Amino acid sequence: MNSILSEKHRIVRRSVRSFCEREIRPIAAEIDREARFPWEVVEKMGKLGYFGIQAPRELGGADLDSLSYAIIVEEISRASGSLGLCVTVHNSVALYPILSFGSQAQRERWATPLARGEKIGAFCLTEPNAGSDASGIEATAVSDGDAYVVNANKVFVTNGGVADICLLFLKTNPSVDPREISVVVAERGTPGFVVGDLEDLCGMRANPVSSIRLYDSRVPLENLLGQEGMGLKIGLATLDTGRMGIAAQAVGIAQAALEEGILYAQQRRQFKVPLSKHQAIQMMIADMGTLVEASRLMTYRAAAIRDSGKRFSQESAMAKLFASEACCKVTDLAVQIHGGYGYSKSYPVERYYRDARVTRIYEGSSEVHRMVIARGVMGKK
Amino acid sequence: MGFHIVVCIKSVILAAPEEKVLRTEDSTALNPFDRPVLEAAIRLKEVHGGHVTAVTMGPEASLSALLEARAFGVDREILICDPTLAGSDTLATSTALGAGLQKLSPFDLVLFGVRTADSDTGQVGPQTSVRLGIPFISMVQSIKWQKGTFRVKRVADHFVEEYEVPSPVALTIHPRAFAPRDLALSGIGQAFRSDRIERWSVADLGLSADMVGDAGSPTRVLSMKRIKETKKCEFLKGDAREQAEELMKRLSESGAIGA
Repeated sequence: MNSILSEKHRIVRRSVRSFCEREIRPIAAEIDREARFPWEVVEKMGKLGYFGIQAPRELGGADLDSLSYAIIVEEISRASGSLGLCVTVHNSVALYPILSFGSQAQRERWATPLARGEKIGAFCLTEPNAGSDASGIEATAVSDGDAYVVNANKVFVTNGGVADICLLFLKTNPSVDPREISVVVAERGTPGFVVGDLEDLCGMRANPVSSIRLYDSRVPLENLLGQEGMGLKIGLATLDTGRMGIAAQAVGIAQAALEEGILYAQQRRQFKVPLSKHQAIQMMIADMGTLVEASRLMTYRAAAIRDSGKRFSQESAMAKLFASEACCKVTDLAVQIHGGYGYSKSYPVERYYRDARVTRIYEGSSEVHRMVIARGVMGKK
Repeated sequence: MGFHIVVCIKSVILAAPEEKVLRTEDSTALNPFDRPVLEAAIRLKEVHGGHVTAVTMGPEASLSALLEARAFGVDREILICDPTLAGSDTLATSTALGAGLQKLSPFDLVLFGVRTADSDTGQVGPQTSVRLGIPFISMVQSIKWQKGTFRVKRVADHFVEEYEVPSPVALTIHPRAFAPRDLALSGIGQAFRSDRIERWSVADLGLSADMVGDAGSPTRVLSMKRIKETKKCEFLKGDAREQAEELMKRLSESGAIGA
């Protein structure tokens, strides 16, 4: 795998891994157990540029390519799925749309503090009655003088509990055209902006996933991203990048599970030999290794195509679908290798198993991905 | 005042499959003992100003070590690269490095790692300082500039020695003395944005081919074999106190802990 990476990418991986091994891995179990967002580490990550991976230098970013981005998300997720989630959502579905669709003034105002990690971003699409079907969105923004009056109930917002800058998908002027979806940026602290209770989730517990509600909140008209009615376009473009990030996250979690599986198989002895000498275990490890490598290749390929400036929707969707399902399989096998201990909190594999599950659900479920991929594959004929 | 600090670094071999040494980009990385050295240089630059030059000798694959040094904040990088350098032992290496350093003169400090992760001789730093005819201090823990001289501390056998040395001086840096910083992603991005690494050949150094490489090396590595490590597990006898005493005795005898 390494041979397809350039020296730059290898140094990116080495330096991020070294940081994660020292700063994140030792606290990963604890922040999961306590469902705590580790600000002390997040601040360090911000200073090192982890929150502005692809943002231009003049806006405080590291200006790296998508392949570096995939590697960084993979490495952080290898240490902690929750923090990998924080970084990928912040970079790809909060910062990226502002960079791509924002005006110069909006970029300076929001992208700079986001890229420096001084502020955390969130993407607010899902509602109680809208998720995979974005047309069901009920949030509204009605223009009134110099502001939109926003009413929204957004749920399962990743980073919700700590986000300062939230991209809201809503219907602008619903009485004129109820299908028109737009994106309005709301900042925490705006009157009427309320952060709901944190979700008590199965995995990704160190990420403060919450609901975000706005009650008759006056958000300035200049907070509209792009133009009215561009919501679906922004959403689709953003999700291509976002899906690649989730694929990278799944690769990282699966890699961690593979390493733990191998380690345990070499240490634990049954029938007078290490587990790794039993063919049944070898078969599992072979499958795990192959799945991780295939996921990684698909993810890096999607990233490389994006770096070449070509459309990568299909590759990104396939990478996300495959890597997330592979991640669930690999973490499941890692638990199996550990036997009863794998089902206990004494070993990290149960955390990987829980963290893995949601990668098949968020940023487009496996089923939605299959719909998208089928359309693309059949259309190519 | 600003210093000119020269850091001599090495791209080391991570793995030698089948006992064959092959330096490729995949199989090499910056010597881990050189990271504290880069950190020491950058900290001195941050306090006193000046500039840092990184030098390495090796094949093209060694470029990666220089690029990593650049991401650290080094201002100038030089790759001493020439087919005639192949097979250089530590003496021939110090001949080439010494000539390179003379070309970079004037400088105030020349810094080395105490050793390399792949050959572990620890000879290149001291030998190069002899070539240059400048003072040398090993295993340095701290470096301060006071009243026109360097005040340098080293720890050896439970004693702290403090030296006062004039510029220029050569030092090897204790691996735990300067914890290397994490590389900022923007530094990595910037390091790879421009291609300004200078390459010097043996002729550029004013040396002849017989002074370096195989021809200039009085030592030869005859063979290289992996050591097979065997572990033996022994259970100490007696009650807990007796076992603890026996354990303390053995650790003390082996030198693992102080008597």
